[in-house]
This record gives sequence, C-alpha cells and structure tokens, in this order.
Amino acid sequence: MRDYQAKIVENKEIAKGICSITFDLGEEAVVRCGQFGDILVGGTHLLRRPIAICKVEGRLVTFCYQVKGEGTQKLQKAEAGSTLSVLMPLGNGFFVEKEEKKVALVGGGVGVFPLISVLREYKAEKQISAYIGYRNAAAVCGVEEFKKADKFVGVTDDGSYGEKMNAVQAFEADLKNGNRPDVVLACGPTPMLRALKALVEREGLTCYVSLEERMGCGIGACLVCVCNLTNGEHARVCKDGPVFNAKEVVL
Amino acid sequence: MANLQVNLCGVTLKNPVITASGTFGFGREYHELYDIGTLGGVSTKGLTLEPRLGNPTPRIAESRGVILNAVGLQNPGVEHFIECDLAWLKSTGTAVIANVAGKTLDDYKNICEKLDGLVDMVELNISCPNVKSGGMAFGIKPETVEEVTRYAKSGLKKTPLMVKLSPNVESIAANAQAAERGGADCVSLINTLTGMAIDIERRRPIIANNTGGVSGAGVKPIAVRMVYEASQAVKIPVVGMGGITCAEDAIEFLMAGATAVQVGTANFTDPLACPKIIKGLHDWCDRHGVQNVSELTGTLQLNGK
Repeated sequence: MRDYQAKIVENKEIAKGICSITFDLGEEAVVRCGQFGDILVGGTHLLRRPIAICKVEGRLVTFCYQVKGEGTQKLQKAEAGSTLSVLMPLGNGFFVEKEEKKVALVGGGVGVFPLISVLREYKAEKQISAYIGYRNAAAVCGVEEFKKADKFVGVTDDGSYGEKMNAVQAFEADLKNGNRPDVVLACGPTPMLRALKALVEREGLTCYVSLEERMGCGIGACLVCVCNLTNGEHARVCKDGPVFNAKEVVL
Repeated sequence: MANLQVNLCGVTLKNPVITASGTFGFGREYHELYDIGTLGGVSTKGLTLEPRLGNPTPRIAESRGVILNAVGLQNPGVEHFIECDLAWLKSTGTAVIANVAGKTLDDYKNICEKLDGLVDMVELNISCPNVKSGGMAFGIKPETVEEVTRYAKSGLKKTPLMVKLSPNVESIAANAQAAERGGADCVSLINTLTGMAIDIERRRPIIANNTGGVSGAGVKPIAVRMVYEASQAVKIPVVGMGGITCAEDAIEFLMAGATAVQVGTANFTDPLACPKIIKGLHDWCDRHGVQNVSELTGTLQLNGK
C-alpha cells in the first residue's frame, strides 16, 4: 500500500454514466485482482472514493467508475496530464485455489469491473465462464475483455442486449445445462449477491463475493465500512474484504 | 530545527500532534504507511468495558468541507486492547492515550481502574448518548461533566486524565471549568458537532443512525473559537482539535490556547497528514525564529485590546 501521486493518462466515458480512468503510477505496483484504490478527488470532498482496480499493465493502472454524485462528477472532469493522489492497492482481493480449475464470474452493474481483473489474472490457467448483467444496451461495457473468457454470457434487464434476464439467472440456466464451476466469484448490487448466495447454497457451490460499503479511512482503522458476518461479528469491508466467502457474510 | 516537544500535564510528547480517537484505530494500519512512533501521541479508538458492535451501516456521509460519522463505539473491549494492542502501541514510542466511554458512572471508574498505570493518559469520551441519567449524555451539562470526571478520576492513581468536551453545549467555558473542578488534568475539544445529511432521492438520512458527528475542515473556526474560550476559562492545559488539516491550522489552535492538538478527519483525506503537519510545524517555527513550539501556546492577541 502506498499513496501514489498518480498522473492521469486517460479519463473517458465508456458506457452511459460509466467512465474509465488510467493512471501512470511512476512505478510498477503489485496488485491482486479484486483489490481497490482510494482516489482523492480533492476540493471540498474530504473522503476518498474507493474504486475497484480493473486493469494493471506495467506502471499503468485502470479504474472504472460510475458517475453518481458530486465526487465522481469531479473525477470525470479530471484531465489527462493532471495528478491525483491514489492510495493503493487496498483490500484482500480474489484468490482462486490451485485445484479450482473451472471458475464462474457473476457480475452486475459497476460490479463487472473487478471481475475483469480476475479474468486477466487467471485466464491462462483456468477455465472461465463469465455471466454479466447490465441494465440495458447503453450500459454494456467491458465486453471486449469478457469475450476473452472461455464462455461469455451477457444479458440485460430489458433484453436490449443479450437475453432479458439478470446475471444470476444466466448463471443458473448454465448450471442447469451441466456447466458446474469449482468456484464462483461475484461482484454487483446487494440484491444480486443475495440471490446468488441463495443459489450457491442450494447447489453446494463455493462462492466469493466482493462487497461495497461507504468507507472512511480505506485501510481498516476507522471501522466505518463494516459488514455483518454470520457468526455475529463485524468485518471491515476495506481491510478484511472486500472479498468474502459468501457463506460467511450476511447480505 | 525547532524543538517541538511539549509537556502535557506531566506527560512529555515528542511533538504536539496527536491522532484523534476513532480515526486511527490502535495505529497498526497507519504504521504500514509510516512510523507512528514519530507522532506526539495516539488517542485510541473509544474503548468500553465490554466489546461493542456499534451502529448499522452506512456509518459515514460527506458534505462540502465536512464529513458525518456514526460508528457507535464499535470496539473489542478494554481487556482485549490491554492484551492484544497496548504493548505493541507502546513499543512504537508514541504516547498512548486510551479513549474510554461508558454507560454509567461506575463504568467510567471501572475502565479507568483497568487502565491506570498502563497508558500515558486516559481520555474521557462523555458525549455518547444512551447513558444513565434519562438518556442525557454526560457531556452536556456542567453538573454531569463534573460528576463523571470525578468518578473517572477516582479510578486513576497514576495516569493523568483528559476530558474530551462536546461542542453541543450551552457554554464550553462552563463545561471546561466543570471538568477542571471534577479533577481533570487537561481537557480536549471539540468532539464532533451533531448533524444530518439527507439523500433527497430516498428522502432519508444517509447515515443509518439518522444523525452523525460532523468533523473536518469546515468545523475549524467553531473549534478555534471554543478552544480559545475554554483556555481562557481554565488553568489546566487544553488540547485543541476540529478540522486541522495542515501545520498552519495546528498553529491557530496553539495560539488560541492549546498545548497540543489532535488530528482526525484529515487522516482520511490524506493518510500521511500527521507526519506532514509535524514537518510543517518544524518549517514554520524555523521560518519564524520560534525555538520551542510551546512558546506559541496562548499567544493570540484579540483585536481592540
């Protein structure tokens, strides 16, 4: 973990309301898939924006973010050549065991971007199927990456791209066809993760989910971003997560 | 280089910069970024006798220039802190200030007894709700400030007591004096101001607890004014906090009457804020020919006087 004064190489909209920003860190960073960075947008915004790392290529690191409030609007206006403070890499990230050969990625909304990092890290050694849900055709992004998976099923809520269903339904349909993974890795809105948790529990599958929560420090000190564990304890999403075994968290 | 060392009611701090309770855990996470032994002190996450889970999430929101938080004192309990974190935190070389909270007067006394002689100082958090006297926080009225201070002090034979004052009160001067009467060795202020931020799409407060404590750069003028008023009202040292982001902010507080300062929210914006403030204090003192930073305390001169 380091606080990089990172130079913006590119910052552009890649789908409706979704932007991609690439920084030059000035040196190579060791990053695990599913980890995140905490970006300081500055001005009157005292809190950093925790954003999943989508891609790392040498000194370049790419984040994708949804433009939602004043902070991300300010981030969208940040110009190439300017510098922002980026604290990274943070969190535990995804980890696939050696014996887990078949990997299913289930993602929805902005949750698809950390899964791109998983695909890039593991595609050479694992058989990967990606089930990705978008709101509609205008929100579709990252397809060129997901198409590099052994199997890609892209769907939308309104059927304007792919079939009209959500990512969990797409995964379940393939499961019924006999395409059973050794491990499921997921990221997306809580209702989606909740439905997936119920499905993997019925099916007896191992599943890891990446969670989102409003954060304070981003490094595990302030106890702002906790989630509930099934054992009654709290865990810190930023430090103990953001990736948790689905059976250990209450969604 | 200027001498940044300060004496806070008998405890020598390497410099006047202390991390504020709740923003810094027990220091381990920030120690991954820099040597926290370089800090004047660390005020720990608020400790209670029993472990607490705290409030539901979201626990934080942002508004321009400030943040709001309602973590609700999640902590592993004082015993766990003593067993698992205290020795490590002491070994870093920083002054250890244990921030404590309770539901009853006896809680405050008991937790102080457990920490007496083990830490450099105890800081009393008396602004948390849901306490004994009809749900009223101890920190609001001078009478209860004095009473809880006296109880806590009765549990401390060796370790000095700092009482953290709430700004959500009628008179900060009266409450500072009440703490002094109760036996406080120093006071710290300001704790957060109670606020609310609303998600207008959902027509609900952003924070699950509805209200939260407001802190950050935007509260600084209020905090400076209150530190001035408190320091005029008492003889014991005052530790100032509220929106300190850089060395110049810290110097304002020292001039207003503070012996040391605490830095909280700035750690979130810049996790290296504290070492930068310490370096900035050195630079400022050197530029201004100040040999001891302690010379700055209370040097404010009001206009028209």
